[in-house]
Amino acid sequence: MATAAATTRLHRRTIGLRRAFAPIAEARGFARGMLWTGAGLTLFFVALAIFAPLISPYGFDQYQSGGHRFAQLAHPSHSHLFGTTVQSTDVLSRIVWGAQTELEVVALALVFGLLVGVPLGLFSGYFGGAFDRGAVLFMDAMFAFPPLLLAIVIAFLLGSSVNSGVLVAAIAITVTYVPQYFRVVRNHVISVREEPYVEAARALGAKPTTILRRYVFFNVVQNVPVIATLNAADAVLTLTALGFLGYGVQPTQGAEWGYDVSRAVSDAASGIWWTGLFPGLAIVLLVTGLTLLGEGLNETINPVLRKRAFRRVDFAASPSQALASETLEP
Amino acid sequence: MHLRIRVRYLVALGAGVLALAAVAASAALSAPQRSNASTILDGTTDTVTNVDPAGNYDYGSFTVDILMYQHLLDFPAGSKVPSPSLATGCTANGAQTAWTCTLKQGVKFSNGDPFTSADVKWSFDRVNTIKDPSGIYSLLSNLGSVTTSGDYSATFHLKSPQSTWPFILTTGAGFIVDHKVYPADKLVANTDVGSLVGTGPYKLTKFTPGQQAVFTPNSNYNGSAVKNGGVIITYYSKSSTMKLALQQGTIDMAFRDFTPTEYTALGKTTGIRVYKGNGVVIRYLVLNVKRAPTNNPAVRQALAYLMPRQDIASRIYHNQVTPLYSMVPAGLPGHTNAFGEQYGMAPNTAKAKALLQKAGVKTPVPITLWWTPSHYGDASADEYTEIQRALNASKLFKVTLKSAEWTTYSKTLGTQYPAFQLGWFPDYPDAEDYLAPFYGTKSNFTSNGYSSAKMDAILKNEAGAKTTAARLGFVKQAQVLAAKDAPIIPYWQGAMLAVARPNIAGISSTLDPTYIMRFWELTKS
Amino acid sequence: MGVQGSSLKRYAITRLALVIPMLFILLTLVFVLMRVAPGNPVSASLGGHVPPAVIKQISHQLGYDKPLYTQYGHYMWDVVRGNFGTTISDRRSVGSIILVNGAATLELTFFAVIVALVVGLVVGLLAGRYRDSPIDAGGRLFGIVVYATPVFFLGLLAQLVFGVWLNWLPTSDQASPITQALLKTHTNIFFVDAIIDGNWGALWDVTKHLILPATTLGLVYGGVFIRLIRINVIRTLKEDYIEAARARGINERSVVYRHAFKNALVPVVTVIGLQLALLLGGAILTETTFNWPGLGHELYIYLQNRDYAAVQGIVVLFGLVVVLASIVIDFVNAFIDPRVRY
Repeated sequence: MATAAATTRLHRRTIGLRRAFAPIAEARGFARGMLWTGAGLTLFFVALAIFAPLISPYGFDQYQSGGHRFAQLAHPSHSHLFGTTVQSTDVLSRIVWGAQTELEVVALALVFGLLVGVPLGLFSGYFGGAFDRGAVLFMDAMFAFPPLLLAIVIAFLLGSSVNSGVLVAAIAITVTYVPQYFRVVRNHVISVREEPYVEAARALGAKPTTILRRYVFFNVVQNVPVIATLNAADAVLTLTALGFLGYGVQPTQGAEWGYDVSRAVSDAASGIWWTGLFPGLAIVLLVTGLTLLGEGLNETINPVLRKRAFRRVDFAASPSQALASETLEP
Repeated sequence: MHLRIRVRYLVALGAGVLALAAVAASAALSAPQRSNASTILDGTTDTVTNVDPAGNYDYGSFTVDILMYQHLLDFPAGSKVPSPSLATGCTANGAQTAWTCTLKQGVKFSNGDPFTSADVKWSFDRVNTIKDPSGIYSLLSNLGSVTTSGDYSATFHLKSPQSTWPFILTTGAGFIVDHKVYPADKLVANTDVGSLVGTGPYKLTKFTPGQQAVFTPNSNYNGSAVKNGGVIITYYSKSSTMKLALQQGTIDMAFRDFTPTEYTALGKTTGIRVYKGNGVVIRYLVLNVKRAPTNNPAVRQALAYLMPRQDIASRIYHNQVTPLYSMVPAGLPGHTNAFGEQYGMAPNTAKAKALLQKAGVKTPVPITLWWTPSHYGDASADEYTEIQRALNASKLFKVTLKSAEWTTYSKTLGTQYPAFQLGWFPDYPDAEDYLAPFYGTKSNFTSNGYSSAKMDAILKNEAGAKTTAARLGFVKQAQVLAAKDAPIIPYWQGAMLAVARPNIAGISSTLDPTYIMRFWELTKS
Repeated sequence: MGVQGSSLKRYAITRLALVIPMLFILLTLVFVLMRVAPGNPVSASLGGHVPPAVIKQISHQLGYDKPLYTQYGHYMWDVVRGNFGTTISDRRSVGSIILVNGAATLELTFFAVIVALVVGLVVGLLAGRYRDSPIDAGGRLFGIVVYATPVFFLGLLAQLVFGVWLNWLPTSDQASPITQALLKTHTNIFFVDAIIDGNWGALWDVTKHLILPATTLGLVYGGVFIRLIRINVIRTLKEDYIEAARARGINERSVVYRHAFKNALVPVVTVIGLQLALLLGGAILTETTFNWPGLGHELYIYLQNRDYAAVQGIVVLFGLVVVLASIVIDFVNAFIDPRVRY
């Protein structure tokens, strides 16, 4: 009896959570395929990033082992599965450590972006007024910049004063995404703030911060995971582009795939393919994984696009039984 | 209904194919406009600041100018001595404070204007009047005034004696321009190609900044006939793209600059040859004599003992550079392996350790080495990693590497950095240009705080020496003192490298310490 | 039409009027950013060869040591009179940079958009039409993977395969050296100039040089178009009038090609406009890879040289292009849908 009651309580408590995740369980077809492939790829790289010290055979700038220097631009072999670079570093190690760099920067950029963009959007959308108009004008001006351009200028500027390349790249990418978070949150807040329940709360004398916290925030935050995953994909592309051009993470600070591709360009035409192909493929796979994850999430969560699973309709033996099973079904 | 649509598609398709065929046919039939079979197609990663000689002080612009203009004295291929060009000869007065040049008669500019002494005075005066931000006028800092006597004689009045003044005449500040066309106080714009007249072997017929410069032979050229039908220089921002273009045959040759790996790879490619000559570009490590730890001479000398020159030359640069043991590169008169003689040709950890122990310096000495990416090529990163490895391996130093982007780096130098990388290519191929800018108290541009009365005296004597032998004696003295004090440690000397396809001949003879690519002597088959 | 017309006019004027403050913000932003960075164009071009005293003297001559607001004032005053300055590293007027190099970027992005449209339309339409079939899955996957491929990596692969191994196509520049030397300049867009002169050999040469860069850039952004067009096709196919057409017995092929596709294409203009900012960003990478002398490439070079004037001019131009494009699109949308206007 006690456990049954406990289960029912657990059921009731987690109903919101299960309701939230139900669409994923229900996903069918391509959306499901995308979701799981994307999650798989992403998790693979996350694992690489987290367990880099354990997985990687050598350090990202390690050029020797046991007193014996590695060969320069060596073909893939059993000691260097992906070959070596012009600096005698191991390509495979640079891929693994590179995963850490990429995900570190992207995670930082996402966090910064959310920390700045969401409160700004909430505040601006809810209170409106001159601040709102000014913020919108400013953000629109930022939107006018091609994102890569903005990132380059910021990375270029910060590169001379900030020591950590990871931080430089993260901030550069944050700046390009803040307008987006701002706009999405603000628009959502504007539509939500006219909802009857918000008006009711106001009429009841609730403080603006309470309203924002209780009603608006959670409503708005639903949008964020999808945008965040898709932004993560773009962030990786921006980061590697910065690396390719020589901004952001410097070679002495960490392995970066875009930088490796830029160094590999002169090797490539001489028939040395391994220094460029592997970093390039790594970028393609990670970004594809993130995009598939984001698209998959979008397809399953977004009610316009999602396709519900077809369930067989079982006509219940009696109306009361049907009623009983109804209350606990999401 | 379907049939009509299908027919429509077929008709559209057919028309498209016919149009393509027409274009292709006409393309095949219309051969290139004129026969440019003997135009040399060169590629480079240099950039051009200004074509007007009074407005540039970089090698890319110099390459363009040397094709269009002449000096009073020039270097013929293989010669290291300034030889008569627009002047038939230049002699100094007893005190070496005035140099008089007799000018060649009958020379015309590419637009027909006659060349006279007025052009000489005009050319030098305007460099100092315009005082262009490139800083080219700093080469004429010793020039007081220029006077003319008749149409074919000009005299340079110097502020202090200088026996090497003829060398200054061969630099970028000494190009002769037409006084009737070039304004006295303004530069001629790069877009005004018609006004950029000179007496040189070529005329500039088209200039697209950042893309290409097109040269055709100057019919009024007073020298021997140009050996080809013209030159087109194509500018690349990345050497890897230039390498692809060379391999595909889009360009016939490339001069300046590939990465060491690219040179090696090109050397192995069939159908492409890498030409190597005695170069005069050097690379060195500047040590700040006012900041710790390099303010201690023992530390500097220990670094001199440990510099891994051979490793850098072979591993990083694939032997396209040679170890350098003096600021004055090998191949120039007066060169002596001062550092080799004092510290040995190979790194010597034992001696360095003994030296530091004797001086009571605690090891490992922490030291920060600064370098700059991109300006000196990507290999800089590898170069300094190599130096770090060698110094750390000796257990006598603990090296931290730091880098700064060129614009910050070049402004800072010794004002903040304790030890930093620099490179140098000369204004003129003489030892003096490798000593004064580094060791003279007033002329030292590295801001490393080095100031030695003894060195200043040697340099002054060198400048005013009456005979070549005497001058070279002072040059040797300067190098020995420089090695002892070791405010700067030179480590490599670059070869002059050019890469070309087999249809280009004549490159080997132009590769010499004067570092001039004499395109007018190249032939294309 | 009277009331509607005046509200449309008001909308247009309001949007256009907002361009000025937006431009002002952009200019100021870039100006401040550039000055904040250490180093100036003088040290960039001269350092390492000329004593610091001379560098200081020259910086003073050019006014780089004046207080920030003085420099800003001078700059804005010049801008208002149409003078965007001259670069230090190669003495070009920013105006001429924008004209000459802007033309190159225009040429590249124009053909890239065509490639992107063709790829996006064909694959997007097919994917939307055959939703949830292998064609759809394949098309979407193609779009995703191609967008995930960095432009510089795809460019590198293209150069290797078509340039080095097969030697079919040139790997850099807008035209071969001799063609470029002989081509007369009219519009600075080589493709157009060749046509104007009737120079078919040059036209063929220019086209060959366009193929790799335009296809690389276009393919990557085609990936974006695929997704957008597909969604649009799906939405359109759900519309009532499509149901009605089907109910009327019109065969599926006609329904799809005649009715649905045409309406799905309507937002294409919007789509291009929205992606313009991304496209210009991608152009920077493509131009650097292929040595294409466009504004993106020049920006990269001038940034390294701290050539403020050029960087300011180019960045603001990019911003201006995107802003104007979005205004045109919003205007078109407002014209069609009165709800959109303020």
